[in-house]
Amino acid sequence: MKMKRELGLFDAVMMGLSGAIGFEIFVLLDYAYFSLAGSDMILALLLGGLINLLIMFSYCELGAAIPEVGGEYTYTKAAYGGIVAFISGSLRWLASVFVAALAALTFARQLSYLFLRVSPALQGVVSAQTPLIAMIVIVTLAALDVKGVKKVGPLIVTVFLAIFAIFLVGGLWRGLTPPEVFSKPLHEGLSGVFAATAYVFPMFFGMRALVAGAVQIKDPGKNVPRAILLSALLIVPLYFSVAYVAVGVLQGGDGPLLNVAAEEIFGVAGAVLFAIAGMVASLSALGTSIAVQSSIARGMSRDGYMPKILLSVHRRYKTPYVATIAGSLLIMVLSAVGAVEFLGYAASFGSILVFALVNLSLLKLRSKKPYLKRPFKTPLYPFTPIAGFIMSLVLLVSPIFLGDLNAVSALVSGLGLMALVLLTYYLRMVGRYRVQVALGGISLGIGIFTALMTYLIKTGFVPITLPPVSLYALIFISVISILAGVLNVTAHTSKIS
Amino acid sequence: MRISIKEAGKILATVVGAAQSAVGVLAAIAAYILYSDFFGLQAWLNVTTEFVPLYMLILIVFGFFSIISGLFLLAERSEAP
Repeated sequence: MKMKRELGLFDAVMMGLSGAIGFEIFVLLDYAYFSLAGSDMILALLLGGLINLLIMFSYCELGAAIPEVGGEYTYTKAAYGGIVAFISGSLRWLASVFVAALAALTFARQLSYLFLRVSPALQGVVSAQTPLIAMIVIVTLAALDVKGVKKVGPLIVTVFLAIFAIFLVGGLWRGLTPPEVFSKPLHEGLSGVFAATAYVFPMFFGMRALVAGAVQIKDPGKNVPRAILLSALLIVPLYFSVAYVAVGVLQGGDGPLLNVAAEEIFGVAGAVLFAIAGMVASLSALGTSIAVQSSIARGMSRDGYMPKILLSVHRRYKTPYVATIAGSLLIMVLSAVGAVEFLGYAASFGSILVFALVNLSLLKLRSKKPYLKRPFKTPLYPFTPIAGFIMSLVLLVSPIFLGDLNAVSALVSGLGLMALVLLTYYLRMVGRYRVQVALGGISLGIGIFTALMTYLIKTGFVPITLPPVSLYALIFISVISILAGVLNVTAHTSKIS
Repeated sequence: MRISIKEAGKILATVVGAAQSAVGVLAAIAAYILYSDFFGLQAWLNVTTEFVPLYMLILIVFGFFSIISGLFLLAERSEAP
């Protein structure tokens, strides 16, 4: 079914802003300021805005030339097809999952900060159970998504713009100390700025929501590029001024940067207002990310890259419940780890890689389909997409060069997940029966290994002391794994050939 | 009532598939409980803090494979004529 194009330029800009302005500003500035770049963080926001603008030029051209559902996945599919489109879709899906886990943890942190201010006695309990709170929130929002409850994104962005305006006026009225930039030696300062840019980059890329919503925009050839550029240009001064005031009014204090700054300006009322705003933004982003990951998974499932079961629709609520629940389970596992900095980098890296692929797709499509109707052409072609591609790679490697362990673990985990994704692709291409036989072999191996280990522990060859009940559990697991292995291997061996 | 060998095989696949999936889910839950150290599990299992990430990784990988393998067996039953 084709959607009706009914949104004008203003609605399109609001769509871009509501995609970009979200919970990220309540969480990402903390690590960027306190650990990576100090006051230079405000330069990182400028640099991030500039790189975002470069990349958005490519989005403008592609969004206007191919105004269809699917965004990046559609562009890479048109340019390269096959495995590149699959990688792009998978990265986008993984990034949504990481963003959702980060949003859930941000909600729990803001709740903890709220309790710190209104009920310090309960704050200890809330703070200790941050991952558990995050998981409860995910389950609740996943259930709401399955039931088909709608969201209120544009309303939230209007409220946020008002809150940030009050924050800026209040900060300037109170008086602030101008942040000192480039106080560190040049090479140390620059690497900190680049690492912080990579870390805060998720604050910008939400505006590509506009590309995903291009199918609803009137005269997309003109309005999509204009709206992308306008929102990209509006977001930079907004973020810059909020960060400038926050750093300028800060006089110590423990907690999230914006909350502490709001407390400096407006007292406890400011801290409570920002904690509530952070919680609302996190909930909204979590709901959106759960829906987005489900939509990407279904798109890839339709193209045969993911199991068809993801397309299943709930009988009563008519919602894609399998894709929602499957993604939400992964989001819960990630939020259970509780590592905000790791999730921030992981979400950033996933999307930066997609941006790199989008720039490459633009270059490829210009040579592959030179006669494609392009209502908007990227200025200074080919330098703009090449610069966008190079800057994406620079953002990817700069935190690694800084030796940031969170970035290294995010990159290693990301590469591990990519290996799993590629493995899935090839297994999918060779057919389900082979996958079942392979899993049968793995189960059989696990079962035999567990049985052997149980025997060695029991006889004392392996010096591990386990409670007796654990040994019975190990015996049960080994029997089940061996049986499952044999059944999976024999189930379809005859069908492979 | 007589049960043919084919039907017995299907019942076995269902029972084993359900048990293996359940074991996988329990392994994932155990990984979380171990991480959070609910009920003093780390001390009960004599697990030192430095080895917790390793045990978590083993439990999560084991849980992942068990759930998928178990689901394959369950799907087998629903697809068989």
